[in-house]
Amino acid sequence: MKKFIERFFSFSTSDPEDTRKRRLLGILLAGTAGIALLGALSFVYFAATVNPAEVYLLLWGSALTFAVVAIVYAMNYFGSGRAAAVLFLIFLYVIFLLSDTPDQIVGGRTLFAFTIPIFMASILLTPASSFVFAGISGAVIFYLAISLGVTPNIPGIAGFFLIAFVSWLSARSLEQALNELRSINLNLDRVVAERTEALAESLAREKIEAGRNQAILNSIADGVIVFDKKWNATMANPAIKSMLDIPLQLIINKNFRELVEHPRLAPNSRVLLGSMIEHGTQPIGFRVEWGEKTLSVSAAQIYNQRREDTGTVIVFRDFTREAEVERLKSTFVGIVSHELRTPLNAILGYAEMFKEAVYGPVNEKQVNMADRIMKNTQRLLALINDLLDQAQMEAGRLTINNQTTRPAELLETMHSLMDKPAADKDLKLTSEIEDDFPDTLVGDPARLQQILVNLVGNAVKFTHRGFVHVKLFRQDERWGIEVTDSGQGIPEFEIPHIFDTFRQVDDAATREHGGFGLGLSIVKQLVGLMNGEINVTSILGEGSVFLIRFPLIIPQESPKAWRGS
Amino acid sequence: MNKLALIIEDDEDLANIFAEALRGIGFEVENALDGRIARDRLIDGETPFLILLDMHLPHISGKELLLKVMKKDARFAKSWIIITTADARLAEELRDQVDFAMIKPILFGQLRDLAARLRPKDEI
Repeated sequence: MKKFIERFFSFSTSDPEDTRKRRLLGILLAGTAGIALLGALSFVYFAATVNPAEVYLLLWGSALTFAVVAIVYAMNYFGSGRAAAVLFLIFLYVIFLLSDTPDQIVGGRTLFAFTIPIFMASILLTPASSFVFAGISGAVIFYLAISLGVTPNIPGIAGFFLIAFVSWLSARSLEQALNELRSINLNLDRVVAERTEALAESLAREKIEAGRNQAILNSIADGVIVFDKKWNATMANPAIKSMLDIPLQLIINKNFRELVEHPRLAPNSRVLLGSMIEHGTQPIGFRVEWGEKTLSVSAAQIYNQRREDTGTVIVFRDFTREAEVERLKSTFVGIVSHELRTPLNAILGYAEMFKEAVYGPVNEKQVNMADRIMKNTQRLLALINDLLDQAQMEAGRLTINNQTTRPAELLETMHSLMDKPAADKDLKLTSEIEDDFPDTLVGDPARLQQILVNLVGNAVKFTHRGFVHVKLFRQDERWGIEVTDSGQGIPEFEIPHIFDTFRQVDDAATREHGGFGLGLSIVKQLVGLMNGEINVTSILGEGSVFLIRFPLIIPQESPKAWRGS
Repeated sequence: MNKLALIIEDDEDLANIFAEALRGIGFEVENALDGRIARDRLIDGETPFLILLDMHLPHISGKELLLKVMKKDARFAKSWIIITTADARLAEELRDQVDFAMIKPILFGQLRDLAARLRPKDEI
């Protein structure tokens, strides 16, 4: 029933204002039809009692009203709403004119009925049309008064215009308010439409993005697992399945801890991964043992747009072959270091025995020869040591073994090794320790010794007259080694390259001084491993200064705890 | 009476050189060419005045001989123990356990001069 009524009053036009007015007219027509129905019913009631002629008038009036209402409704529904409204208003005039005697219309009770079309016009047509209908009402009243020969009711007619004015004002403000409301609604609709479209687009984009990510993940050889904040795996690629050789169901939607507890994971690897989960720290590229395989693990935090931590992505790479190669390389380095040094030690020993005349007297030339064998063997040993150091550094196996170190002992050992080579070239080799220098500091004594001997050896090698001076100094939170010489100096353009592997300032220098040019390269790498820095200044023909600075750490324990002797 | 030196070294040439260096200053020298022989010799034979112990040995490593044989037997507290190795790390690690740690290459004169200075431990 409600639906039927709604359909009865629903008019679909493109202009909402027109629709509203048609609807209003529809309601008024329904009201009019209702009044006509009441008229028809009162015919039945009055038929028996009152003068039949008048009653029939009522009946015909009702029938006519029904007919007109039907016509206006049809017009309102199918044709022009405005024309229908005009027709309806004219029909009202007709009804008012027929409903009373002319003298009552002109000056009596029905005069005010003529105000009804005026304000109806303002809401059914345009607000200003109320003035037109005030004019019509006025004209009708005026005409009737003239034809009856009475004075027209001028204040009444003026009242019509006053009502027209009020109707115009109120209808206009109503229309304005409605228009504003409509434009607000329109804007709102547009905003909603835009947002909806944007949302749909971003959803589509996300879907494409996710698809692309999945495609990338599926196609790479590295195993990838994505975890949420609680370490539950939300995503994994097929590579991880073949890498770990377990079904994806054992990974996805499971907590990482379950994977860490897997029996194929080596116990120490379990500790590594466990501490990663526990502390949330992600060391870059550590390795774990999974069954026969060595996997390199790298992890990265995932942040959302607000920079909040939302999880972790872990990439596993099959490192088995590389690990095997590394093992072979380190075995090789070990074998080389032992197998090469042992026979050289024997050569050195026999030459020395020969020189020392262990098996009987030798002449001066033979002693000289034995000396040369020893010198060359020692050179060869130094080269092997350099190459092994270089190989170890390249393999990343050379580690710094920090402990309590006595700087004075470093200098003593340096002197015991370098005093003779310096004296052989008539060079003055001196050293000093600054007054405020600590007795002990934390460092790797073997590597510091190596740095010192390499630098001094280098200085002695390239200095032909004058001196080599070593100074240990303290500078705030740092300490340093300074090696100054009065040697040939280094051309400025060569300074950036002197630490390169296998580099000497020129080929002639290599021939003259021997060596692979690994010494300074090793020094620089060792200094780097100890978090230090090295600088060189040099004046051609006057000498060079090598300056190394390390962070200064004073040992906590008492110096006596040091290995002594 | 000559002081006894036991040279535990698998390289014959080095063993020979070390032996000559020690003989030259009046040592009586015995050689053990691998870890197993050395162990048997250490357990059964006369306690040496000086033991020169290589770390890299067949069968039983020098480190094992040092820690499981010599350090467990009070007899060797009187012996001077010198380890020889090319591995500086290992030498550093065991330095506190021994009297001297020599890093290869070891010079003839170096060993001779060091050994010449050694007095019986109970006289010090």
